[in-house]
Amino acid sequence: MSYQVDLTNCDREPIHIPGKIQSHGFLIAVNSKTYNISYVSENVDAFTGFTAINLLGKNITEFEQLLKISGDVASLQQLLNLAKATKTSDTINPLTIDVKGLGYNLIISHSLNDLVLEFESAESDLGYDIQKTIGRSVSEILSGKNLDTLLQNAALEIKKIINYDRVMIYKFNDDGHGEVIAEVKNDHLEPFLGLHYPASDIPKQARELYKINLTRIIADVNSESSAVVTFEEDAAPLDLTHSCLRAVSPIHIQYLKNMGVESSFSISLIAHGELWGLVACHNYSPRFIDYKARDASKLIGQILSSALEYRQDEEDNTKLLELTEAADTISGYLKKDPDFTYALIGNNVTLKDVTTATGVALIYNGEIDVVGQTPTKEQIAEIAEWLKTNMTDTVYSTHRFPTIFTAAQQYSDVAGGILACWLSKELGEMIIWFKPEQVTSIKWAGNPEKPVEETKDGLLQLSPRKSFESWTQIVKFTSEKWKNDEITAVLKVREDIIYAINRKANEIRILNERLQLAYDELDTFSYTISHDLRTPLSSIKNYSELLLSSNNSLDEPAKKMLDRIIKGTDKMHMLIKEILHYSRVGRADLEMSPINMGLLLREIKREVLSALKPGNIEFTIGETPSIIGDSVMITQVFTNLINNAVKYSSKSIPQKVAVHGEMQNNEVIYSVSDNGVGIDINYYNRVFELFKRMDNAMEFEGSGVGLAIVKRIVEKHNARIWFESKLGIGTVFYISFKTS
Amino acid sequence: MSIPDILYIEDDEDFAFIMQHAVKEVKEGLTVEIIDNGKDALNQLKQLADARVKPKLILLDLNLPGLSGLDLVKRIREITFLKYVPVVFFSTSDNPKDVKASLELGANAYLTKPAGYLNLVSCVESLYNFWFTKNLTVN
Repeated sequence: MSYQVDLTNCDREPIHIPGKIQSHGFLIAVNSKTYNISYVSENVDAFTGFTAINLLGKNITEFEQLLKISGDVASLQQLLNLAKATKTSDTINPLTIDVKGLGYNLIISHSLNDLVLEFESAESDLGYDIQKTIGRSVSEILSGKNLDTLLQNAALEIKKIINYDRVMIYKFNDDGHGEVIAEVKNDHLEPFLGLHYPASDIPKQARELYKINLTRIIADVNSESSAVVTFEEDAAPLDLTHSCLRAVSPIHIQYLKNMGVESSFSISLIAHGELWGLVACHNYSPRFIDYKARDASKLIGQILSSALEYRQDEEDNTKLLELTEAADTISGYLKKDPDFTYALIGNNVTLKDVTTATGVALIYNGEIDVVGQTPTKEQIAEIAEWLKTNMTDTVYSTHRFPTIFTAAQQYSDVAGGILACWLSKELGEMIIWFKPEQVTSIKWAGNPEKPVEETKDGLLQLSPRKSFESWTQIVKFTSEKWKNDEITAVLKVREDIIYAINRKANEIRILNERLQLAYDELDTFSYTISHDLRTPLSSIKNYSELLLSSNNSLDEPAKKMLDRIIKGTDKMHMLIKEILHYSRVGRADLEMSPINMGLLLREIKREVLSALKPGNIEFTIGETPSIIGDSVMITQVFTNLINNAVKYSSKSIPQKVAVHGEMQNNEVIYSVSDNGVGIDINYYNRVFELFKRMDNAMEFEGSGVGLAIVKRIVEKHNARIWFESKLGIGTVFYISFKTS
Repeated sequence: MSIPDILYIEDDEDFAFIMQHAVKEVKEGLTVEIIDNGKDALNQLKQLADARVKPKLILLDLNLPGLSGLDLVKRIREITFLKYVPVVFFSTSDNPKDVKASLELGANAYLTKPAGYLNLVSCVESLYNFWFTKNLTVN
């Protein structure tokens, strides 16, 4: 036998209309309206002595009389009426009848426009009535405490009942490939337990038929199948979907022969409407078990299916429960603990426990925190960078990460699989879970990659594997798969985290608003206070001076005291003036315009020199590129800086003060340098604080407000200020303004 | 109606008192009249204008009851007869915005109140020199 198949069509072989049946029984089909025989299997002759040609077109009643059918039914016609009335004929099947004195099981099924009657011998290779033992078997099976023992028990019990050489439980994985997960066999047979079978071994349409026909018997792979014939020209081949005699695909026959199997029987295991697996029974010699035995096996299969469904659900639920409990615990921490990161990873239950991962990384607030086994933080940063462009959805998961992100091959031992979710895409904040690589060896039953061979004429021939010796495939860079439950738990915990982040952000926003309000109030307050303080202060000074100048009767001590009063008011006056300036910067709105810096600096130079009157000074103004700013405030900035430069260098001879600006990329940087007393670098951060004066500045007059004002204005302009200084050598202040 | 050389609109009693002293110290016989309310000042100036007389110099504070200094200078400039009378602000504030506004509204100068009597005397002296002796044509 040689069947050419196109590789792409191998999933499309029409196995439900083979046009043939297995020859251990015979088949007739009658038109469901006329009850005239429309199809007959050719082997009817061997069972009845009537040829197919003789029978075709005859009415069912005539057929009944010809074959001398007798049994526990009134008539075939009545039986067909009954079958038509029911959707499936399961309730009436099988019917024990005699044909020419021999016992048969009659099985009726529906086809498109026909009713199919199949006659199987009542003689079974099984010597006893299976239905008597089934109750005990079922209770044995169900005594299994977990899924594995349940399946092992099932294999054992089924083997006991139907007595095949080998009974395996075969489970389908998501990709269609199967694995033998339980096996009971005769001692001398080679074990298949643990072997994997490629998806092509049981193609899709076969899997579909397994969902419809819950049992399937192939009695003898070596028997010649019998054609189903019809009178009608161009008639469609009879649909044998529901037939139990349906011939087997020659490819599958070859497959079984290659394995040395002569007879097979399978029971479908269905969970949640899908084919979960099969109980696959092999016999190394022909074997036929009758309809009743098959029906009993089907019952076991159904009971096993529902137990499976239940146990699988139970185990899944237990796992899911653990994950959601962890998610709930963390959500509890988030509500209580203001330290967000600690809530997520600092307690006994951490983010890691939301999945079955072995490690987790939290990338939040510019930091990477880890729990468990993870790559290094540098590596995590690289992964995060990669995810920024590749994680388009909320969640990303892969169990083969190093094959996608090849840099991870270096550390596949901790990151064989990753599951990641965004916290904030804008900020690049996320969580990444890691599962270690499992270098798994899959034992295939034969090399799965070679199911197809080329024939001499160049056509591809589907050639079922001849060798079933196990063929080991090593799978690298692969972790255990991420389950839906894990992703569900991750999404839940993500919701909680984002809620917590938003709540926190809101709190901060409200605090900010309050702070802004307090800040504004403080500015108004200090402005008002200092303004109102000025007037009475002026009066004190004015009257003191008036007293001094217009009253000749004052003695010397009294004059001295008035002098001290005047000095005090001067000092206070200066402080108030500075505070006013400082608070004015906070209150004012900027009026930005391009500033002619050359003009401005020359004017300031003139004013400062005329006010401080330094003796010997070299004051240079270099390049003066223009900047954009509020001219009044910028004037204040440079007045204060230049004033300081001249003031604090007053003891150097000669004094050197230089101001110049230069363009650098998108910035204009101005520097004001002097050769004065310098600033102790230990006070670097305090220099700009309000009322802070350095020790070595005490001998110079000043309020400690000037640089605070400078800093405030600079910040308002989104510019930067810094300085370099050496004690006794001098100081350079730099201000960098953005040009755009 | 006697016409003072200087009309000083100031609500601070102390400063008004000191000013009177300072003016006397600059020049004996120079007269100064104090008005402590913006509204009263405007009324008085209107009467003077109707009588076709005017002070040689108007000094005024920024913050005044009744009518603010800025409003007052604006109203003064609306009186044709007083269009060119020298108006000088004399204020505690040195806010550049106030300075700018006052000059735009027609003030001739903006002086920050000097600290101390001695400074005030020299300030008044330079005012006197400028507005009374050098710029006689204005008056």
